[in-house]
Amino acid sequence: MRVRQIRDALLKTPVGLLGLLSLAAQVVLSIWVVVSYPDDFGNRVWSNPIHWVDNPKAAPPAWIRRVDSQPRAEHWQTVRGEPETVEEKGRNLIASWNIPYIVEEGAVPAFLALTVRDVRFEERAPLLALTLIRPDETRVSVMRHAVRGPREGEEGPYERHFDDPLRIQLSADESTLSSLQEFLAEEYGLQMDAEEIRPRVMDILFGVPDATDDGFVPMAGEYTFLFQTATRAEDDGIGSVELVAGGDAFGRMGTDSIGRDLAQGLLYGLPTALVIGVVVALLSTSIGTVLGMASGYLGGTADTVIQRLSDIVANIPVLPLLIFLLFIIGPNLTVIIGILIAFSWPGLAIQVRVMVLHMRSSQLIEAVQSLGSSRWRVMYRHILPQIMPYFLAQIIFTAPSAILAEAGLSFLGLGDPSIPTWGQILEAGFRTGGVYVGYWWWIVPPGLLIVLVASTFMLLSLAIEPVVNPRLRQTRRAD
Amino acid sequence: MRNLIPLAVRALTMVGVFFVVLLLLVLTLGLTGFSDRILSSVVGEQIRVERTTLAETIRDPDELERVLAARKAELESFYGLDIPWQRRLPASVFRVMRLDLGEARSLRSFAGSSRIADIVLERLPNTILLMTTSTVIVALTGLAGGLYVATRPGSWIDRLVSGLAAVTYAIPTWWIGILLILVVSVHWRLLPSGGMYSTPPPEGGWLRFADLARHAVLPVLSMVLVSVGPYMYAVRTITLNIAQEDFVGMARARGLSETRVRNAHILRVAAPPIVTGLIFGLAGSLSGSILIETVFNWQGMGRLYYDALAGTPDEGVIVALTFMFTLMYVAIRLLLETLYIFLDPRVSYAD
Repeated sequence: MRVRQIRDALLKTPVGLLGLLSLAAQVVLSIWVVVSYPDDFGNRVWSNPIHWVDNPKAAPPAWIRRVDSQPRAEHWQTVRGEPETVEEKGRNLIASWNIPYIVEEGAVPAFLALTVRDVRFEERAPLLALTLIRPDETRVSVMRHAVRGPREGEEGPYERHFDDPLRIQLSADESTLSSLQEFLAEEYGLQMDAEEIRPRVMDILFGVPDATDDGFVPMAGEYTFLFQTATRAEDDGIGSVELVAGGDAFGRMGTDSIGRDLAQGLLYGLPTALVIGVVVALLSTSIGTVLGMASGYLGGTADTVIQRLSDIVANIPVLPLLIFLLFIIGPNLTVIIGILIAFSWPGLAIQVRVMVLHMRSSQLIEAVQSLGSSRWRVMYRHILPQIMPYFLAQIIFTAPSAILAEAGLSFLGLGDPSIPTWGQILEAGFRTGGVYVGYWWWIVPPGLLIVLVASTFMLLSLAIEPVVNPRLRQTRRAD
Repeated sequence: MRNLIPLAVRALTMVGVFFVVLLLLVLTLGLTGFSDRILSSVVGEQIRVERTTLAETIRDPDELERVLAARKAELESFYGLDIPWQRRLPASVFRVMRLDLGEARSLRSFAGSSRIADIVLERLPNTILLMTTSTVIVALTGLAGGLYVATRPGSWIDRLVSGLAAVTYAIPTWWIGILLILVVSVHWRLLPSGGMYSTPPPEGGWLRFADLARHAVLPVLSMVLVSVGPYMYAVRTITLNIAQEDFVGMARARGLSETRVRNAHILRVAAPPIVTGLIFGLAGSLSGSILIETVFNWQGMGRLYYDALAGTPDEGVIVALTFMFTLMYVAIRLLLETLYIFLDPRVSYAD
């Protein structure tokens, strides 16, 4: 059996080709992820709740709206820089932004948030105001806000909200409640107190009172958010204004319970899974091959020691020990990979030894030896090439078990928090009870991706199985 | 007699496994300073208990402090805290072996005890129950299915089993469990999503057993779903390989019936490697049970890991669990190895 046979088995069978194509696609996608994601994605983005504050919580993917007939508002987010108009009004300069927003039949957004960044002024702090113009031409003053003025001992020009943007959750803001109270009284003659309004701010903003009971009927149509700033000096103003209308559906993969975009986390998990699988497989297989060759070729005490050791390590129940070691040493991906390598080599060491013993007694090796080849040369030139196919096959067999093992550890809460993996996403979904309330978009995709990557390697091994001894399939799994 | 020697070698290996794990536990605990912290907290706990009892008899506060300080030094030397951990190793090994790791921080046994030994031993039967049930089901269905498929090599059902084996090898057991909860418990509301008994548990032996069985369906099903494919495939391959040997053809040529060929010739030879396959699957089923218990809140040792890791981690419990899992694994392995020897007297471990 030659390495060439393995290549043919992979390239010329449908199963092998499918596996190779799938692996190639995953590698390309991984490279794109590694290049385009920030280095510290885990700590700075994924595990940072502030980064996800504008996203809806536990929202299903946006495409679900085409599958079920329930009315759902899609997540809507817009950022504007320069104002559309600036007019002088008395001593003030009024800058305005008109931001259109469409509400579809029955699809009232879940929340409304305004973010203003980079406020700059010479003397007087600017005033900010947001008005909602509704399809029936009624106007709701949603918010008024005065930017914090000069502090004692501070020199102008003043800068505000450069590092900490001004973020107002309008659907839960006290001043919004009182403006709504006013609006309801003036427009519809309705008297409601703040506690009555609080849970239904969005229904009131995007609806009209129902004549029959005291509910509100959603009003579909074209809305406009009118955002205005009142400033004194020419150079005063804001950097940008952002409006978010939280939807009941979000993006391609939905969000988790703190609003994280699952699509981003799932993509990030791909290179991690591949690296875990390939590194563990490559290193443990190398160790196994080297030790097996040494054991078979050297014989004597070295053989006995290596074989006893392999026998013992091969029989250790891995998962309990992995849990224990990670718990003591701390959750760190390098440690996880190191421990997995330390426990995955013995199977191959035992098999390679048997093969080497077999070859050593072959006439070819005996002839080469009697011609005076050194041990090293015999190992390198004559024995290693014959073991190479098994080496390659074993890499393919080991990779999925390493990926599954890491996923299982992450699921127990022992994953490296600075590197999000699919196992960790599943752990979060399980620990926070997402399973029991049926958040399928949080539970199904990460598991499917684990299966996809692991089964890619299984496809490859199915393809080369007729070439390689099927007994090699007795790899252990520790998921 | 000849077979007792290889059995002894296997037994020695398993004892080796046991002691290597034990040594690894103690070394890790010693090197990272965990051992010192555990023992200090054990001493601190005892001193706190004794302070309350001594305060009844010794009224003078200075006298009390002096007595307690002396008692503390005594306890520290008893636990070996006054000597470096390297020299304490034998005592530590012994302590782990007796599960004498003090009190659990917040976990309690069902009877209310906080002794780690009590908690762990109480959970042991639940884990064994789950593991043996699923292993027996996998063994029986895998054997029957594998033998059946082996009579029809190349048929669609054969290809289905091969594909199934490859795919299920790539599926995490615990994710199957979560999916089953999502579909069967949450969506269809057919079976409970976790726990071992309903609250309140029904009275009476049979009702109680039925309740337990209802709770066990999903965890057992997840473990069986993932393991049965590969095992069936292994049985099929082993039987097929033997069926191609010359002596089987010889038996057929002698005019023996197909049933007799299968039972007397193929199966006699196939039995030992089939048992080996089961032995190899054991490690997987052990890991599977740890995660499946976590998913289904099954009150076994595996779920205890999860509980001990969450919140303020409880190191004593984790050490005890790791030790117990190793012990359990070694014990079952020895049992199966013995079975293997007596299953086929011709088989010896010698090459």
